[in-house]
Amino acid sequence: MARKQPIELFMPPNMLKAKVGGGSSGPDMAAIKRAEAAMEELKSEFSDWIAQDVQKLTAARARYAATPDAEARAHLLRGAHDIKGQAPTYNYPLIARVAASLSRMIGELPPTFALPLNLIDAHVTAIQVIHKNAMRDANDKTAQALCVELDARVNEVLAAAGK
Amino acid sequence: MSGYRFDRVRVLVVDDNVHMRKLVTTILQAFGVLQITEAESGERAWTALRETNPDVVVLDWVMEGMSGLDLIQMIRTNPQAPNPFVPVIMLTGHTSLDHVRQARDAGVNEFIAKPVSVKTMMSRLVSVIEHPRPYVRTGVYFGPCRRRRVDDFNGPERRTEKPKQAAE
Repeated sequence: MARKQPIELFMPPNMLKAKVGGGSSGPDMAAIKRAEAAMEELKSEFSDWIAQDVQKLTAARARYAATPDAEARAHLLRGAHDIKGQAPTYNYPLIARVAASLSRMIGELPPTFALPLNLIDAHVTAIQVIHKNAMRDANDKTAQALCVELDARVNEVLAAAGK
Repeated sequence: MSGYRFDRVRVLVVDDNVHMRKLVTTILQAFGVLQITEAESGERAWTALRETNPDVVVLDWVMEGMSGLDLIQMIRTNPQAPNPFVPVIMLTGHTSLDHVRQARDAGVNEFIAKPVSVKTMMSRLVSVIEHPRPYVRTGVYFGPCRRRRVDDFNGPERRTEKPKQAAE
């Protein structure tokens, strides 16, 4: 079939390679070791960081409860999404899982459907409890059962919305 | 040892979460990157981009205001962008195929799925250094060639199709 528009395919000069040079034998293992050591040092700050993120999510929940508008909804989604992405780094896999469930519900529920505040609260409270009790074991049976229950409730809400 | 001179590279790190910025800059500094500019929003990043003309952009997807996808489209298509070919590594908590397609269609070079790890960051940097992709220009798309896309496109010519509007 004849093409409707011209297509230009080209390789721009690799200025980055010209700058950094080297690189014939793959990743720089010495740099990786330095960075892993730096990450180990940074870990001392992770407990403060997760505490701040949980606090932000709690504030976003309060804001949405007071004024459930699109801005508050977006704020809540961002709080949940941030925790979902970062909690594994902070060694809180269960918090990441609960945040992923909350993030999925907010992200997938069409904007015309109100978010169920009781289910938001269930997620936020679960995150607060896991954090308060420093539950870092992803295999904790009680926490796993709670996650399964939250997932099921979110599935119900999304199914009711045709998702 | 690869012997990369990371000290010569300018990197722009864009994330509205201060902790994620610190995490990424800590890793980059340990790699030897000395010239790092941080931006906490897409708007700030656009200003910083024109002021510093970075060699690599590390960018979060979900941000308040201008999203990561919006910023990439500006980088690739706005005449004021200092370097439309600058490699963009996108940090994302989205890992679904549909999200990957959206980002690829916006002009992302590489992805890092959160949580960020040292090895993944090095791997993506090496990838943009050693394996740059050709660029494509059509009436509706400009950016890295999307041939690594995994979908089965059935249209007459994929590169003439306008990318699907990004949604967050």
